[in-house]
Amino acid sequence: MTWRSPLALVRDALAGQRARERDLRSLVSNLPFENQKKTRQPNRYFSGNAIKTTKYTFLLFIPMNLYEQFHRWANIYFVGLAILNFVPVVNAFQPEVALIPILVILSLTALKDGWEDFRRYQSDRKINNTPCFIYSMKRRWKDVRVGDFVKVVCNEIIPADLLLLHISDPNGVCHVETANLDGETNLKQRRVVPGLCIMFVPESFDSTVVCERPNNNLNHFICYEKPDREKVGAGIESLLLRGCKVKNTQYAVGFVVYAHETKSMLNNSGARYKRSKLERKLNTDVIFCVILLFTMCLIGAVHSLWLQALPGVPPYLVPYSTGQLDSPALSGFYMFFTMIILLQILIPISLYVSIELVKISQIFFITNDIDLYDEGTDSRAQCKTLNITEDLGQIEYIFSDKTGTLTENKMVFRRCSIMGTEYPHKENIRLAVLDEPDSEEEVIFDQPPRTPQTGWSLEAEDTNLEDARHHHGGRRKSKISLNADSSVAFSSPLETEVIPDRKLLQKISKTESSGRQQMDPYLDFFLALAICNTVVVSTATAQRQRQSALTSDNLCYEAESPDEAALVYAAKAYGFTLMARTPDSVTVRLPSGKDLVFEVLDTLAFDFNRKRMSVLVRHPVTKEHVLYTKGADYAIMELLGTPYAIAADTQYHLDCYAKDGLRTLCFTKKIVSDEVYESWSVKRRSALAAINDREELIMDTAVQLETKLSLLATGIEDRLQESVPDTIVALREAGIQVWVLTGDKPETAVNISYACSLLKDEDLLVIDGHTLAMALSSDLQDRFVDLAKRCRSVVCCRVTPLQKSDVVKVVQDKLKVMTLAVDGANDVNMIQAADVGIGILGQEGMQAVMASDFAVSHFKHLKKLLLVHGHWCHTRLANMIIYFFYKNVQAYVNMLFWYQFFCGFSGTTMIDYWLLIFFNLLFTSVPPIMFGIMDNDVSAEMLLGVPELYKTGQGEYKSSTFWVAILDAFYQSLVCFFIPYMAYWNSDVDLFTFGTPLNTISLFTILLHLSIEIKAWTWVHWLIMVGSVGLYFIVTVAYSAACITCNPPSNPYWILQRQMADPMFYLICIISTVVALLPYTFHVLRNSINPTPLMQARHLDKLDPFSRDQWIKEWRS
Amino acid sequence: MVKQKQETANQPDNTAFTQQRLPAWQPIISAGIVIPGFLIIGLAFIGIGVALFVTSQSIQVLEMDYTGVDKTSPCNRCTDPNVKSCLCQMDFSIDTLFKGPVFFYYGLSNYYQNFRKYGVSIDYNQLFGDLSYFTSPSEKCSPYQYDNNNNPIVPCGAMANSMFSDTFKLFQIVNGTNKEVPLDGKGIAWWTDSNIKYRNPSVTPLQMAFNNTVKPLLWANPAYQLDPADANNNGFINQDFLVWMRRAALPNFRKLYRRITSGDYTQGLPAGNYTLQIAYNYPVLSFGGRKTVVFSNVSWMGGKNDFLGIAYLVIGSMCIIMSIVMLIVYAKFRFSEEE
Repeated sequence: MTWRSPLALVRDALAGQRARERDLRSLVSNLPFENQKKTRQPNRYFSGNAIKTTKYTFLLFIPMNLYEQFHRWANIYFVGLAILNFVPVVNAFQPEVALIPILVILSLTALKDGWEDFRRYQSDRKINNTPCFIYSMKRRWKDVRVGDFVKVVCNEIIPADLLLLHISDPNGVCHVETANLDGETNLKQRRVVPGLCIMFVPESFDSTVVCERPNNNLNHFICYEKPDREKVGAGIESLLLRGCKVKNTQYAVGFVVYAHETKSMLNNSGARYKRSKLERKLNTDVIFCVILLFTMCLIGAVHSLWLQALPGVPPYLVPYSTGQLDSPALSGFYMFFTMIILLQILIPISLYVSIELVKISQIFFITNDIDLYDEGTDSRAQCKTLNITEDLGQIEYIFSDKTGTLTENKMVFRRCSIMGTEYPHKENIRLAVLDEPDSEEEVIFDQPPRTPQTGWSLEAEDTNLEDARHHHGGRRKSKISLNADSSVAFSSPLETEVIPDRKLLQKISKTESSGRQQMDPYLDFFLALAICNTVVVSTATAQRQRQSALTSDNLCYEAESPDEAALVYAAKAYGFTLMARTPDSVTVRLPSGKDLVFEVLDTLAFDFNRKRMSVLVRHPVTKEHVLYTKGADYAIMELLGTPYAIAADTQYHLDCYAKDGLRTLCFTKKIVSDEVYESWSVKRRSALAAINDREELIMDTAVQLETKLSLLATGIEDRLQESVPDTIVALREAGIQVWVLTGDKPETAVNISYACSLLKDEDLLVIDGHTLAMALSSDLQDRFVDLAKRCRSVVCCRVTPLQKSDVVKVVQDKLKVMTLAVDGANDVNMIQAADVGIGILGQEGMQAVMASDFAVSHFKHLKKLLLVHGHWCHTRLANMIIYFFYKNVQAYVNMLFWYQFFCGFSGTTMIDYWLLIFFNLLFTSVPPIMFGIMDNDVSAEMLLGVPELYKTGQGEYKSSTFWVAILDAFYQSLVCFFIPYMAYWNSDVDLFTFGTPLNTISLFTILLHLSIEIKAWTWVHWLIMVGSVGLYFIVTVAYSAACITCNPPSNPYWILQRQMADPMFYLICIISTVVALLPYTFHVLRNSINPTPLMQARHLDKLDPFSRDQWIKEWRS
Repeated sequence: MVKQKQETANQPDNTAFTQQRLPAWQPIISAGIVIPGFLIIGLAFIGIGVALFVTSQSIQVLEMDYTGVDKTSPCNRCTDPNVKSCLCQMDFSIDTLFKGPVFFYYGLSNYYQNFRKYGVSIDYNQLFGDLSYFTSPSEKCSPYQYDNNNNPIVPCGAMANSMFSDTFKLFQIVNGTNKEVPLDGKGIAWWTDSNIKYRNPSVTPLQMAFNNTVKPLLWANPAYQLDPADANNNGFINQDFLVWMRRAALPNFRKLYRRITSGDYTQGLPAGNYTLQIAYNYPVLSFGGRKTVVFSNVSWMGGKNDFLGIAYLVIGSMCIIMSIVMLIVYAKFRFSEEE
């Protein structure tokens, strides 16, 4: 390393900073600089590829972890108290011993953090050391730098974001699987940067790659290359993202544009933390505890002044070595702090750790629930936010999207209207009826364009100059194949099998035989179905195992959206088979068996503003340029060239379809003249090479071409997910308001709402986007919310994603309720606005899932997630927290406090301090955690059978509950202290001999109190409860036998042994425990006289399943 | 087959634990179950209560305050701090035989032996016979660690310093003459205290160990001369010292002084007149304390205490009443299968 002046270093650092922050980065190949010093490297400013996700370093673990832990104020409180104990005038215990509890808590937490971090370190190291080829040399992932050439072979994971320059396939097309990145398993097409010669040699790569700053948008990338003078643009379709797998090519060579700042890394934001409602309540209760503590300490401090009233100095009062005593005010002041140290356990030290443990277990149980597992996609329920599980039990309002949430987003062609004539496809309906209750055969169409979702607009046009004919939205998840593998979506024969309408079939065969093929709208319609899409046809060579089992015609369709696949299958049913699709051509086999090869001139991909997509092809027979456009009906109707009669008829049919809950798409055709095409394509090319406003320019060019269309028309539909009506009925019975917010037309929305039993009564509110915009204005909000509150159901249609989140926020703010938003696609705003966001791992995009707190595979899973897991999580945690408060107030804090009245408020404890610590850390710490993890108050069957129980479960943790627990604790502590006090009154009992029964009574009362609270005893419960009692006696006996002078001046030697030989000890323990628990009689009386619904449910739970179901029916009617 | 496995790689384990279906016992505490429980507890408690009460009633206690607050009290003259080595006498009579063995306690009230700093002011290592702590007692003993001449105090600390110093002699008046009742001072402390926790240094004679140390300020004699009558009852294992060093839990307490077990008094104290001779040394009036002597015989439940017996009887009866209430409730409001 040569010496460099500090100035040069600073200059270099600043230059690096500038280079990193610039909006555009210019990158060149590293190869020419291979042997030069680091400071000469052109790409040295950009970080390398090694990843580090660990939070701590080995040497700094302890300080960093402590810093982290002291963000929690409870820890500061306890450390502060431990330090206070080192001040001689106020200390209550031996200072070293007082450190033990907080040290145990801190080290347990540190151990947990350290273990997690070590696991991260291991996985980092594994990833960083994964081998890869950096320009023909075998290296490791961490060696990859920006500007390197990396070669990836088939099925290998890509180490960094690569600009695809060369692949083995002469077409220049390969596919990537992004499952690691976003969970979507469909293949996405990637193309080499156009304009590069086929014979690619990295050494001769002398272009400069100019790309944008790293960002986390997985579906957006722009850059251009400057080989010489001409710019060549490239978009996301040429970028291989880190973490993806390369498919359908032997190898691919790419130029590293982002190493550490890859899109996948930037997307990796880690787990989120929200604060649950219960935790907020908990914190207020902790504040009450602090107030209580201060009150008790103040009482102690004031009372300690009684000594001043004595005429002389008693021999038990120990002066300072100077022979003086403190002034009354000073001794009172000291006493206050001594009391705080003494009674510190009133703020439960282990509560926070216990809550964390319980939440970990709740997440474990949710993700391991086999009922929430979907075999189709092999996915479990996921918890993305780790600490709001109990909020699932508090939901009062649900806001649901429709597409992909209530509906399956699996589609089959259902009906069509061609040239104003309707073809109802009655055969399909008949089959559907026969097939009930599965109704698999129902024809379903989904029309995502209807919902103007923001996610889509980001995707924009990323088509390339020559032929990037596919939009790689990547938000849609679908797997199309003809095989019968049921685990692959859209592959079930029932879904792909469309029975053609006889009339229509006749018509087609007639026209085909008549030979007027080019003109016929019927043929055009089916050609449009087959051509106007981005479906990829893969054959047996496709290296995807799952779909290798192909049908006889050896075709396998990979569609990015389900509707496209459905339409291709529909065309196939009528004999128009999509045979092959390359970037430049589409091959369609006609019913006659003839193959037509259309040259694809351009693809105008879907975007949200246009709500349509088009394909421009050259007809092989007529050589005309034909533009096929597909889109939402209202997006198409306004573009029709000359208004003509068919349009009115078709619109009528479309309206009918909408009323039936069908969704609609329109197809159009346009012949583009040569001159128009030539002038348009010039503009198009310049738009594609632009780096600024590229998307708008591309969109403009698309809009320019999509005018004066001729209508072909079709009509379509959507299907509900399995068990949606049941789920909605159950959720509403549980007292949850369900709102549907959708971008659909009012007719469709209302229809769907009826279908999913959302609307049964008259009192419904349907509101559309425009009206909603007004209703949400600040002066009308209150009235809107008031109105909505009175309606059983609210359906908002034609709303934008932003409005959805506004609705959620308004309801949340005005009504002060817990809200939950469900979405299956990409309504990130709405999901994040709600208290709890749930994503449906659906057929469409994963954005909602990524932004959600919980993700499930079907809407029906909400029922168990909320009614069972929500109820359990909340009940368990609430009961555990209440118990913790009770336990800490009852045991020790109050007992110690009462004892102060009999030891002159001097801060004496009547038990050895080690036993005091053991009491909290060993004997009574595990049972409440077990209670929080495993208690089942009512069985899952009951909770699902009687959704009303959900509502009762919500009131589990009220502030009155807290005060009842505190009162109970006070009562119990009085009993546990004063019964032994009276029994030993005026006797020769010594300090610890008096304290031992108190300790024992306290233990028994605490554990028996818990035993009464435990609703279901499994062997684990027995083990832990019996174990705790056993441990208490074993440890205490061992400690009292072993410790003669080990902990001076405290001296518990042989105390428990003597007590255990004394019958009075047992008699005192028994009566105190019984009297302490006597108030439970009121529970018993209430349970018998006026049982709560939960109590009744528990009674029913004990019956056998059959009579229980009978009872549930009777009860609910 | 491999394919199939891959497809369900994420499938959760279908075990009773992960699915939260562990077999469980689900008790429901309602009237029907509680009635027999209450009945059993009630009956058992009444039984125990009766036994306790009867036992407690059979215990005889004789308690006399000898503080001398009252002007007419025989010990009144000893309350003057200027009077040194004051002796006073208390006369009393017993109507019936006071059954033996009779335990002789002294009692102090309003005396906080459980004061925190008082309890800390002790050096257990010194009392364990460790000679190194003779020369330098623990800091905890301060200000009773060294005397004004910087000599170490053994035994150090406030607790030892404040040891109770009154002594008693009991006489039965037989035909006008005083007949001394033999008092047994052996075994009044815990066995573990005199044999394990407290030890004299293994130096003979014991006095040698105490060279260069001073006795606690309030003590009349050094530790090795606590019992002139019995050489084995000196030093830290002196029974009276051990009894004192066991801190009382409550501010009103008794401590065992002697037992009456031998001579003519094996069966107890016969009816008759007695006189108690008190060497009054220990001042308590300055802080509002009281001193008593207590004669009591003991049973399996210790000294006389009616509270526990009454408590058992009351709670037992309450349980019985509860079970009757429950029975009514059960008959009226049962939520059960047949309905």
